[in-house]
Amino acid sequence: MNVREFAQKAGYAVFSEGEDREIESGYCGDFLSNIISRAPDSCAWLTVMNNVNVAAVATLIDCACIILCEGVAPDDALAARAKMQSVWLLGAKGNVYEEAKRVAALCGV
Amino acid sequence: MSDCIRLEYDVDGDNFSSAGHASESVKRTLKQMGVSAASVRRVAIAMYEGEINMVIHAHGGKAIAEIYPERIDITLQDSGPGIADIDLAMKAGYSTASENIRSLGFGAGMGLPNMKKYSDEMKIDSTVGVGTTVYLKIGF
Ligand SMILES: Nc1ncnc2c1ncn2[C@@H]1O[C@H](COP(=O)(O)OP(=O)(O)OP(=O)(O)O)[C@@H](O)[C@H]1O
Ligand SMILES: [Mg+2]
Repeated sequence: MNVREFAQKAGYAVFSEGEDREIESGYCGDFLSNIISRAPDSCAWLTVMNNVNVAAVATLIDCACIILCEGVAPDDALAARAKMQSVWLLGAKGNVYEEAKRVAALCGV
Repeated sequence: MSDCIRLEYDVDGDNFSSAGHASESVKRTLKQMGVSAASVRRVAIAMYEGEINMVIHAHGGKAIAEIYPERIDITLQDSGPGIADIDLAMKAGYSTASENIRSLGFGAGMGLPNMKKYSDEMKIDSTVGVGTTVYLKIGF
């Protein structure tokens, strides 16, 4: 499933939009260097980390989208950087486990 | 030297929001030059980790990228506290990052191992109290 359709079906907040591409896998994590070395291409990256470096790392790993879990809203710097870099930045209410299950169920990954 | 593109960046040590700009700029340049996506990604990751290390551990520094037709040489130079035990610093999971830095998502102790993983050659010169220079070579 593509990010736009997924965000809509999941009822997520959309803080920033990017290229509408397919979510091919998922990755959960908050330590940026772990994410850099382990997150697969075109994944949905689920995190509770909320700062500007999240957008920088998302472009490095070329993920399909970032999902900020637990109702975290991005700070101004992160939202601005995500927009500038055309990275999908989504907001979800549930915890990382619940939202990972949702990604799995909706996207079949 | 004439067939080499040299890019130099000041990496601001107090500004987390600009951290990553040097590696992003190099990434853009390589893409424009038609370097393969896989190579661009290796360079961007290795350089980003080095840049971030200078910001969080060394109050900033200088990043220099020298781009040749078939490879890139990256030099990350700082006048920070230096690294006392380089072998230990290279171990996956070793980090001296403060609680404050960890709350920003850094401090997994994976940066230097990532730089090694994504480069073809890596060398660290460091003197405690003087500074650290990391050299990376990455072929395309
Ligand atoms: N430029 C530097 N100046 C001084 N010390 C450094 C420098 N780079 C790395 N170090 C030391 O080496 C350790 C390991 O670095 P590494 O990049 O692997 O992990 P980290 O930066 O602590 O965490 P991560 O990179 O996973 O966010 C650091 O915690 C720090 O003690
Ligand atoms: Mg590091």
